[in-house]
Amino acid sequence: MDHLAAAMIAFGIALGGGAIGAAIGDGLVGNATINGVARQPEARGQLQGIMFIIIGLVEGMYFINLAFGALFVFSLGAK
Amino acid sequence: MRFLADEQPPVTHPTVDLGCGTWCTLNYDSVISSGIAILVTIIAAILIARSMNSNRPNRVQALAEWAFSYVRRTSNENAPDASTFVVPLAATIGFYILVANYLDFLPITLVRDVHPANTDVNQTASMAAVVFVLLHWYNIRLRGFKGYLLYYTRPHELPVWARAIFVPLNIIEEVVKPVTLSLRLFGNLLAGLLMLYVIGLLLPPILATPVVAIWKLFDVLFIGLIQAFIFMLLTLVYFGLAREGFEQEHSH
Repeated sequence: MDHLAAAMIAFGIALGGGAIGAAIGDGLVGNATINGVARQPEARGQLQGIMFIIIGLVEGMYFINLAFGALFVFSLGAK
Repeated sequence: MRFLADEQPPVTHPTVDLGCGTWCTLNYDSVISSGIAILVTIIAAILIARSMNSNRPNRVQALAEWAFSYVRRTSNENAPDASTFVVPLAATIGFYILVANYLDFLPITLVRDVHPANTDVNQTASMAAVVFVLLHWYNIRLRGFKGYLLYYTRPHELPVWARAIFVPLNIIEEVVKPVTLSLRLFGNLLAGLLMLYVIGLLLPPILATPVVAIWKLFDVLFIGLIQAFIFMLLTLVYFGLAREGFEQEHSH
């Protein structure tokens, strides 16, 4: 198997796993935020700010995956 | 559109070898891009500071004061005695990243060797390295060198053999901080740029233009702001984490 094909398969696996994790994490964040707003509607503004921070943190992991996958495919696999 | 089908993807950078080993290279395109971002940041900061008026605050001043007081408040909540140097550091880093990200609204990639500054991992890693060094300098100053070494044997309540097990975990925790800090920003920004590349590859130009416009609105406006904010907030929070357990140790 040549390098590019291996890198692409690895990219696909990394993206798939990362997407599952990020989606579950986003779902948990949304769940917690809805619970919080339902319990205390006046805290909505504060909770939304925190929610976006956590979403940014959670999806950061996925984007690290994506960037490294792209690095492998475009840069290392092309050699 | 800048990216053509036969063009190099935006992952590699033109590199100048300085001739002193594998790690001793210079990505001159990143130097140019971050130089532009630094210049814009300094000029914008000077202009904002010049236009400030304590009698009649204008809108920009109100926004700047709100943002700066947010940074100061968060810093005082996390690490009060570090505020003197953490507040300028975090505010500068946050503002610089925001400016560097928002420059992507302009078609700067049309110019040769210019790209969004944070799409080079060296750029983000250098900012994380500054935070890392300052963090450990602060920790040593806070606890003394012996206390700093003992800091790696957290949690202090456990018996000695259990604390020895925690040493590698604590070291990993400290090393992971700057790595994730830099890679998070780099990954988000590079993903945004790669998306432009893929859109340019897959779609015909007439369709690509509106898609690129929508993607840039989301990516730059939203992701750019959130990532700048997260980098700044984590800088503040890490200084707060460095104080972890300090109050209990010195209260009795």
